[in-house]
Amino acid sequence: MASVFRSEEMCLSQLFLQVEAAYCCVAELGELGLVQFKDLNVNVNSFQRKFVNEVRRCESLERILRFLEDEMQNEIVPQLPERPPPTPLPREMIMLETLLEKLEEELQEANQNQQALKKSFLELTELKHLLKKTQDFFETETNLADDFFMEDTSGLLELRATPACVTGKLGFTAGVINRERMASFERLLWRVCRGNIYLKFSEVDTILEDPVTKEEIKKNIFIIFYQGEQLRQKIKRICEGFRATIYPCPEPVGERREMLAGVNAKLEDLITVITQTESHRQRLLQEAAANWHSWAVKVQKMKAIYHILNMCNIDVTQQCAIAEIWFPVADTGRIKRALEQGMELSGSSMVPILTAVQSKAAPPTFNRTNKFTAGFQNIVDAYGVGSYREMNPGKGSDALNNGEA
Amino acid sequence: MLEGAEFYFNVDHGYLEGLVRGCKASLLTQQDYLNLVQCETLEDVKIHLQTTDYGNFLANQTNPLTVSKIDTEMRKKLCREFEYFRNHSLEPLSTFFTYMTCSYMIDNVILLMNGALQKKPVKEILAKCHPLGRFTEMEAVNIAETPSDLFKAVLVETPLAPFFQDCMSENTLDELNIELLRNKLYKSYLEAFYKFCKNHGDVTAEIMCPILEFEADRRAFIITLNSFGTELSKDDRETLYPTCGKLYPEGLRLLAQAEDFDQMRRVADHYGVYKPLFEAVGDGSGGKTLEDVFYEREVQMNVLAFNRQFHYGVFYAYTKLKEQEMRNIVWIAECISQRHRTKINSYIPIL
Repeated sequence: MASVFRSEEMCLSQLFLQVEAAYCCVAELGELGLVQFKDLNVNVNSFQRKFVNEVRRCESLERILRFLEDEMQNEIVPQLPERPPPTPLPREMIMLETLLEKLEEELQEANQNQQALKKSFLELTELKHLLKKTQDFFETETNLADDFFMEDTSGLLELRATPACVTGKLGFTAGVINRERMASFERLLWRVCRGNIYLKFSEVDTILEDPVTKEEIKKNIFIIFYQGEQLRQKIKRICEGFRATIYPCPEPVGERREMLAGVNAKLEDLITVITQTESHRQRLLQEAAANWHSWAVKVQKMKAIYHILNMCNIDVTQQCAIAEIWFPVADTGRIKRALEQGMELSGSSMVPILTAVQSKAAPPTFNRTNKFTAGFQNIVDAYGVGSYREMNPGKGSDALNNGEA
Repeated sequence: MLEGAEFYFNVDHGYLEGLVRGCKASLLTQQDYLNLVQCETLEDVKIHLQTTDYGNFLANQTNPLTVSKIDTEMRKKLCREFEYFRNHSLEPLSTFFTYMTCSYMIDNVILLMNGALQKKPVKEILAKCHPLGRFTEMEAVNIAETPSDLFKAVLVETPLAPFFQDCMSENTLDELNIELLRNKLYKSYLEAFYKFCKNHGDVTAEIMCPILEFEADRRAFIITLNSFGTELSKDDRETLYPTCGKLYPEGLRLLAQAEDFDQMRRVADHYGVYKPLFEAVGDGSGGKTLEDVFYEREVQMNVLAFNRQFHYGVFYAYTKLKEQEMRNIVWIAECISQRHRTKINSYIPIL
């Protein structure tokens, strides 16, 4: 039945371990989850502790795992193993390191290839749309030519029957720019060129994919007509500034049609190559997904063990590690068994020694919970963790009423 | 503005003031600096910073760790916090934030123009620009040849437009003129900011005006110091001094006539605030430079800004203190990475 006190009785002991056995014993205690270690090295800076290098190695493994997780993201779901994997031994860390580093390298290479391919795909798609649209621009201008130029507006818009403005009067620049920047681009062009240019733009109907961020981007096609070399330089620099890509667009209709055909052929080739690289990348990610969860848990366990070992007092001369732990008195047997198991696993001969220590400090409050009661205990703790062994008022009122203990 | 800010301030700005005070509480303490100074490598610096509010900000950096990576990540963090404050602010706090970003914008514009002069690629310079001073037309700055071009084409839509009144001239932009342009822009900016704070009144004016006055006088002293031995004429020099400080008008006139450090010191001796600062300056090597002394005074004023409530100065003070902390960390990291530890303790302690 429930006791008079709310939390369990705790005792403080000093634990003497052999240095080789320390890792395995701490691992076994960790699996039990019944022990709180006191930090014996409070005055030591975090970067001067003994196992700093191992913690650093675990952190770089975690970085690689995070990178893999980002890559897998929405495409693949890592499989959850049925049971959490056992704590790995220190020598397994080297194996994990080589494995994860190799995987990271391969994946980064695959990503780079894919990005380069997608970039050229994007450029060719943009060029294709540009060629189609400039066809429309030039054709509408020829329709206007008859009545539009009745007045003698010389200089700017002398388009002739042939759509080409090639006879030295007007040059043109054609390119593609992000839709968000279109407005300020137009305004800046107007101001810098003092209105001496003619800009026409239209939207690209299909949505394009950015090679690096994999987000959808919307673009506009623009074509600028101008006169003179200075304006061309200015326009070129403004386009560079706004990150608009300029494409060389040939003027005669025949050349444009040829270019369009060439672009379409290249696009088809690229699509096949892209699908192949994508499937290679997916294969790599599937490999990673199969084991990702167990690797993550293993690395987390290793890092936790090294953090705990940092808290212990390692006495090199006597080859032993000293730790101070709080644990519930009721579990003394289980803890002793766990320590013996750890000692066997590491193959050391010295039995870990547990000695009780008196202390005036307030012991930690420990409430034994299971999967069901843990939720309720969390709610209670959110209002404030109870003090050690506080009285259980419910039990007391029973005693008052019935005289039962 | 109505007196009695305590009645109205929290309605619009209370959340942000609470947030910025929380951020200020997580600035590095003297104990943190003592620990950092004991680090042997940059990896140790990274491990120690994990225990502070910076947390795992360097977690995704691959080896080897360099000082510039640390600086970029710290700056990104400050930028995120600043953008959060700015996005959640209402008027007139939003205008206040815009004024704060103007100084970074001026620096970015000058950086881009210098880069254009030296024909460096735009992307390289963009990487060096301060993220808080970003604006959309930034990349097009290099096409301008003269200041009036620059204004009419590029900057007329940015918040920097009103500061260009005194700078419109047809001189082409070469190196000396770019520096003059920077100082003139900054002078107009500082005076406009000062007027804004003063017109706002209330606690904000009480806190911000002394800080901006000190900033103006500090610039006057530094301009004077930098112009010794150059071709800058005395009249030109006087036009560069901001007029919103304590030195205006007699001090500025005397400063314009000064020809060496001692004459400058004698001008400062007339003012009770600046006399002890100049006395603390060591001579030659060893001891503090004038800039160090000015930084210390700035830090002092910014820390005191947190003793009053219900004003906008806390945001300004927090940004400046965070920048000083970043300068400190970069100084310590440089000393560690170059193994030149003699001057490692010359950072400026904040709290």
